[in-house]
Amino acid sequence: MEVLELILLILATVLFPGVVFCTYYALFLEWVDRKFFARLQNRVGPWITGPKGILQPIADIIKLLAKEDITPNGVDRAGFVGAPFFALTLALFSLMFVPIASTSGILSFKGDLLIVLFISTVFGIIIIFAGYVSASRFSIVGTARAGLQFVGYEIPLFVSAIIPALIARSLTLKEIVEWQIAHYPLILCFPAMIAFGIFIVCSLAKLEKLPFDIPEAETEIVAGWATEFSGKKLALFRLSTDLKMLLLAGLATALFLGGPAPWGFTLPADLNPYLAALIYSIWFVIKTIIVVLIMSTLKAAFARYRIDQALRGFWRYLTPLSLAILILTPIVAYHFYW
Amino acid sequence: MGILDRMVKWARIRSPWILHFNTGGCNACDIEVLAVLTPRFDVERFGILLKGSPRHADVLVVTGPVTRQVAKRLKRIYYQMPEPKFVMAVGACAVSGGVFRGAYNVHMGLDQVLPVDVYVPGCPPKPEAIIDGVVKLLKKLEEGG
Repeated sequence: MEVLELILLILATVLFPGVVFCTYYALFLEWVDRKFFARLQNRVGPWITGPKGILQPIADIIKLLAKEDITPNGVDRAGFVGAPFFALTLALFSLMFVPIASTSGILSFKGDLLIVLFISTVFGIIIIFAGYVSASRFSIVGTARAGLQFVGYEIPLFVSAIIPALIARSLTLKEIVEWQIAHYPLILCFPAMIAFGIFIVCSLAKLEKLPFDIPEAETEIVAGWATEFSGKKLALFRLSTDLKMLLLAGLATALFLGGPAPWGFTLPADLNPYLAALIYSIWFVIKTIIVVLIMSTLKAAFARYRIDQALRGFWRYLTPLSLAILILTPIVAYHFYW
Repeated sequence: MGILDRMVKWARIRSPWILHFNTGGCNACDIEVLAVLTPRFDVERFGILLKGSPRHADVLVVTGPVTRQVAKRLKRIYYQMPEPKFVMAVGACAVSGGVFRGAYNVHMGLDQVLPVDVYVPGCPPKPEAIIDGVVKLLKKLEEGG
């Protein structure tokens, strides 16, 4: 029995809600993002690679993996080679906590929300590190901008992720999801819906997507912190960006949209566990696609902010707003939700 | 040819990222290149993306006459690109020097400086012609050129 459980755990980590599924699903999400973004701009988007261009992100990754891998003179070799691996590993590791095929992730313990948020902070530090070891002037400028933006979005992101935990009275993702199954998705609760908006905006900044792509602004500073990365290292960075998008969409799903549980009905407790896992993962896919479509719409609707505009937006509006609802949440929750 | 090689070739044909470099032209060709990338002609359907960094790009698209001053910098950009890399000469000036052919400060065409894979003539070439040039480049790739 013990052996069977171990094998199932290994299969879960490697195959189904784990590494392989997350990688391919993240690439699929990139296609969804690019295609929807192109349609909003009245373009076709990826078209000839596979049916409707669905294999485009995979083709990009394979091409980059097969390209020459340049390590320029003057870079810090160990850091330059290590940074993409760190980024990819951390993204995959933090995805283990996201509930995909059941109400809990593959890894789950008390207070795991804090661990996930902590790892998501390390992403920003790795980006700064990667630009710093590149020792190129464009990378340095991009790194400085990444650092500036980093101190802007991190606090509202944390606070908005803590608000569902306050309402559900738990810092464990599993218990937050189960509270939402027992009651209703938190996006319907009053202060949490504002927190959802803040979370999405800060996710865009974390992913360096369009209104906040200041650190890699290609019209100004070549490619920002990623300028010197080519071939395999760039492929790993692209993959880790996609995985980060999946992680943030999955976190938004788990915290605000009721996790992988279906809307409108609850699964019976005596259901076959494999069938339940299938239904959960289908609903996870639906909800994460909704989150990604919201992000693409915002991307298409706004032009890039200047660095001072972005920072002012974060410090003057989003941070006070998130702190205000942080104070408001216990009062509202005491009267209505607890 | 093994299955891995075929997969790499398939990916390479379907995801050529371009780097656009103006060597000192009059901007007519650049506007046509932009027209190729924007909604009307949208080459993202072939997987073509415009990249800012030579380290990320596969195809170097050069417009304008190659002046003696810019040739050194153009070469440096070319050397910064990872293999396999390709060069497209877009417009009469990049192909042969155009109206500046024979001038003391201009090379007679891009192929005096870099190995060129595809020539797209015209002053400026139509966006359709540029897309045709890209398709010819991809066909050349497919045949193992």
